[in-house]
Amino acid sequence: MKRVLVVAGALLLSVGAVIAQQDVVKQDQAVMKATGKALGGVLAPMFKGEKPYDQAAVDEALKQLGDTASKLPTMFPASSKGVKVEGDYSPSPKIWEDAAGFKSKISDFTAVVTEAKAKIKDAESLKATFPAIGKACGGCHETFRVKNS
Amino acid sequence: MLKRLLLLAVLAGVAGLGIFWWLTIPAVIAATSLPLYTPNLANGLTTFNAGGCSSCHAVPNQPDRLKLGGGLPIPSPFGTFNVPNISPDPNDGIGKWSEADFVTAVLKGTSPSGVHYFPAFPYASYEHAKLEDVRDLFAYLKTLAPVAGKARDHDVPFPFNIRRNVGVWKFLFMDGKPFMPDAGKSAQWNRGAYLVNSWGHCAECHSPRNFLGGIVDAQRFAGGPNPEGEGFVPNITQKRMSDWSAKDFAYFLESGMTPEGDTAGGSMARVIRNTSQLPAEDRAAMAEYLKSLPPVEGPPRPKKPEKS
Repeated sequence: MKRVLVVAGALLLSVGAVIAQQDVVKQDQAVMKATGKALGGVLAPMFKGEKPYDQAAVDEALKQLGDTASKLPTMFPASSKGVKVEGDYSPSPKIWEDAAGFKSKISDFTAVVTEAKAKIKDAESLKATFPAIGKACGGCHETFRVKNS
Repeated sequence: MLKRLLLLAVLAGVAGLGIFWWLTIPAVIAATSLPLYTPNLANGLTTFNAGGCSSCHAVPNQPDRLKLGGGLPIPSPFGTFNVPNISPDPNDGIGKWSEADFVTAVLKGTSPSGVHYFPAFPYASYEHAKLEDVRDLFAYLKTLAPVAGKARDHDVPFPFNIRRNVGVWKFLFMDGKPFMPDAGKSAQWNRGAYLVNSWGHCAECHSPRNFLGGIVDAQRFAGGPNPEGEGFVPNITQKRMSDWSAKDFAYFLESGMTPEGDTAGGSMARVIRNTSQLPAEDRAAMAEYLKSLPPVEGPPRPKKPEKS
């Protein structure tokens, strides 16, 4: 009986762990999607001149980017390595193999967002500062993200 | 009778070898065939950026994209190619090359010592480039800083390491034709078609390949499994990209950002580092051409991972 209990407990735990990992993945995807929305839905159209400059919307978008920057260091715990991911992208195993490199990409992004928050006051400063944000995104995606399909 | 049969077999073998030899002679462009020309350095720079030379030839893991010492390993189903040094270093790079050596390398895929390059060097696209552009590019490369150090040899196992066989590959998968503008299309479209199909060599990754490593022509630009390993290269025909305007394509080539706010990753991040340096009108031209690509169904995408 004891054995059955132990086995059942272990099974439950592992099921729980798998579910938790799936949750981590879902949360990660939600953060990235929100980040994309702030960039593609708000900042990029203003940068391109398709939408008028709107300080309140810019502040909100930058707040989202800051939020992402603060979450990134804990978004990819060692336990989520190798978890199968549904959707367009998977985290590359390099996130864990080259933890230092990954960390430096996060600090690049954080620095760029901090600078953007300090500098973007009008359409002009948005034009000057915005491209660096995209570069920081791409700089990390280049190595640490894999396209599924 | 048996003797005659044997003789026939030997003769057939010799003839076959002869044909193989003849078919696989590395093509060379002679210095004497190059007309007098004064290179245009500004166009050389544009060509350099359109060609994405630094995507592969820049020394990896350092920020200077003009440091062309090579060394990047490119994995493939045929082995690992180690990108050579194309800086003007006289010993390790192309410092001692003649202009004809360079033109031959880019347009024919043949080295100065008369050996076939592996088609990881995308000469099957570059062969459509204009001679003047190649000469401008050579002049531009000469202005860059020499970088010492040779890359490791390619790590390509038998039988792919027999360079002469690459001649057969070239016979099968190269048409040797220069880019022909389509008179029915605008100048901008033609410029885009030229950049995408020659220097831009977009199809090299964005097309499926057959078992010999040749591009499947009917599915050009329709994406496929990443030749460099994990993941999938997207279909860039209108099959998948109908939501994008020509402007979206142009902005993507400038910034790496999609209309959804996603950013290019993987090798495409390196490509963007080059296309972002192009004149805006060249990006607009590429965009117009890409937007015009008819929808083509690509190879099946990998199945979504099963729920665990």
